[in-house]
Amino acid sequence: MTHFSWYVDAPIVGLYLLATMVAGIMVRKYVGKVEHFLIAGREMNVYLGIASLAATEFGIVTCMYTAQNGFDKGFAGATPGILSAAAMLVVGLTGFCVRPLRDAGVMTIPELFQKRFGPRIRWLAGVVIVLGGLLNMGVFLRTGGEFLLLVCGFPPQGAADPGTLGGFLGVHTLEIAMTVLLLTVAVYTILGGMLSVLVTDFLQFVVMSIGLIAVTVLILASPDIGWGRLVAAVEEHHGAGGFNPFVHPQMGWQYVAFNALLNLAAVLTWQTTIQRLLAAKDTRTGMRVYSRTSFFFVCRFLIPGIWGIAALATLAPAAVGGNTLHAMPKFLGTFVPVGLMGILLAAMLAADMSTDSSYMLTWGSVIYNDILAPFRKTPWSEKKGLFWNRTIVALIGLFLLVYGLWYPLKGDLWTYLGVTGTIYLASMSVLLVACCYWKRANSWGAAAAIIFGAAIPVAYLVLEQVWKVEAIGAAGQAVTRSVIRETIGPYYSGIATYAIAAAGMVVGSLLKPRRAGPEGPAA
Amino acid sequence: MFDINIIADHWFWWLTTAACVVWYSTVTVYVAVRGVADIKSMLKRLGAGHGGTADAPGR
Repeated sequence: MTHFSWYVDAPIVGLYLLATMVAGIMVRKYVGKVEHFLIAGREMNVYLGIASLAATEFGIVTCMYTAQNGFDKGFAGATPGILSAAAMLVVGLTGFCVRPLRDAGVMTIPELFQKRFGPRIRWLAGVVIVLGGLLNMGVFLRTGGEFLLLVCGFPPQGAADPGTLGGFLGVHTLEIAMTVLLLTVAVYTILGGMLSVLVTDFLQFVVMSIGLIAVTVLILASPDIGWGRLVAAVEEHHGAGGFNPFVHPQMGWQYVAFNALLNLAAVLTWQTTIQRLLAAKDTRTGMRVYSRTSFFFVCRFLIPGIWGIAALATLAPAAVGGNTLHAMPKFLGTFVPVGLMGILLAAMLAADMSTDSSYMLTWGSVIYNDILAPFRKTPWSEKKGLFWNRTIVALIGLFLLVYGLWYPLKGDLWTYLGVTGTIYLASMSVLLVACCYWKRANSWGAAAAIIFGAAIPVAYLVLEQVWKVEAIGAAGQAVTRSVIRETIGPYYSGIATYAIAAAGMVVGSLLKPRRAGPEGPAA
Repeated sequence: MFDINIIADHWFWWLTTAACVVWYSTVTVYVAVRGVADIKSMLKRLGAGHGGTADAPGR
């Protein structure tokens, strides 16, 4: 039985949704150009940028897997957040890659690549970015819906008779709730583009932060939990590895090294993050948004991680079941009191809506700006450009409904996110660094980096599923083991992807004969 | 939260957790106030037709 109340908590959630919708739609009148729609006319200032970046990079899916990290790995599970913050701070202070990127005046990363590597690489990079991004985003809606149902204590799916209307609604509560949520987000994103996203992100950042801080303080100050019980639970279940990633049996130096590469690549090239840089009113503002938001990335992992550790400390194994992803929402459902539950739900809806709107707009911007570029032989009018941008965002929303919500994902969430992310991040980060700082980089090297950057993680996933052997488990039972997972593992494979993508860039670039022109060393 | 022995054993995580709560609370209030001014300024400039550069759409 959860503490969710229809009389107290539901009106809080309703009020938040209404305020967001009104704010998002009100700014649509300022959208007159494609540049207003995609990057808010480059008028974003520092504090709006901080709010927008933080809100975008924290969705329910983030909260779920970071809390799972806390449950499964203890405090050491927050290591990726520390690495991410360090990367963001260094990049924000030095301007590494982001300074030349913002100075170039482009709207997307592939647009910058065209200046150095030509239109084919721009198109190919656009396809890789959109594929990786959309597949990554495909799991957001369902995961968010699962969180909301578990916290509210709605019956598990399949409990009602689907033959009746009431039964259908009961069976598909998750799909219906998330469809309504997505439609709400889609309406203001389609109408107002980046302007609506920035204004609603600001509102969502405030609501989200109040909820996150309030619940965390409640856990730390609770006489039943508190710091002492959190530490004791981690010591009991994980030992020293729960505090130090280097001695954790599932982590080690390879986990830290892989996450350092992954987070640096995400800071440099994850299009939703970069879009805040590109929407900033100037390069210095963009860099300040990066450096001043950096510590939020520690909070992003540690705060939900503490919620996960609190679930570890308080829930019996039978209550958690087989899926540790659901431990945190089950804990919150019984821990958070009426009233604060409404604020928590509004906060989580805010987190999810800000992420969904930004992601839809971001991938839409790459489709319009880069993938459709070869089809625009002559410049399109602002009206036609806006029409196509809005249509693309609507189609992405439709894709999310079909793929991400009504088509249930099979398999492990973290592996799925990691693979789809690495396919994109490894090659794009190598291309960006080479584009900005290596004069010999050219289209051959760029093509090789993209191919190897995608081929290795895909090959790993395929081999993980195909190359299996029968073995005898510790209790004498027959078990099926993945050879590739037990011999190489996802972290060595991930590190190799970055190294080989970089090698592909170097070798490919050196093999191509030197000549003058846009791809030549003089460019 | 304030048992000194438990804090001393895992001081790094205690400090990081405390920093998260304090920093995040402070930044939320600060950004909530300054962000409103940023939105007003952004919409004012866009309303006056200053928004955007000479970049052509759909390059």
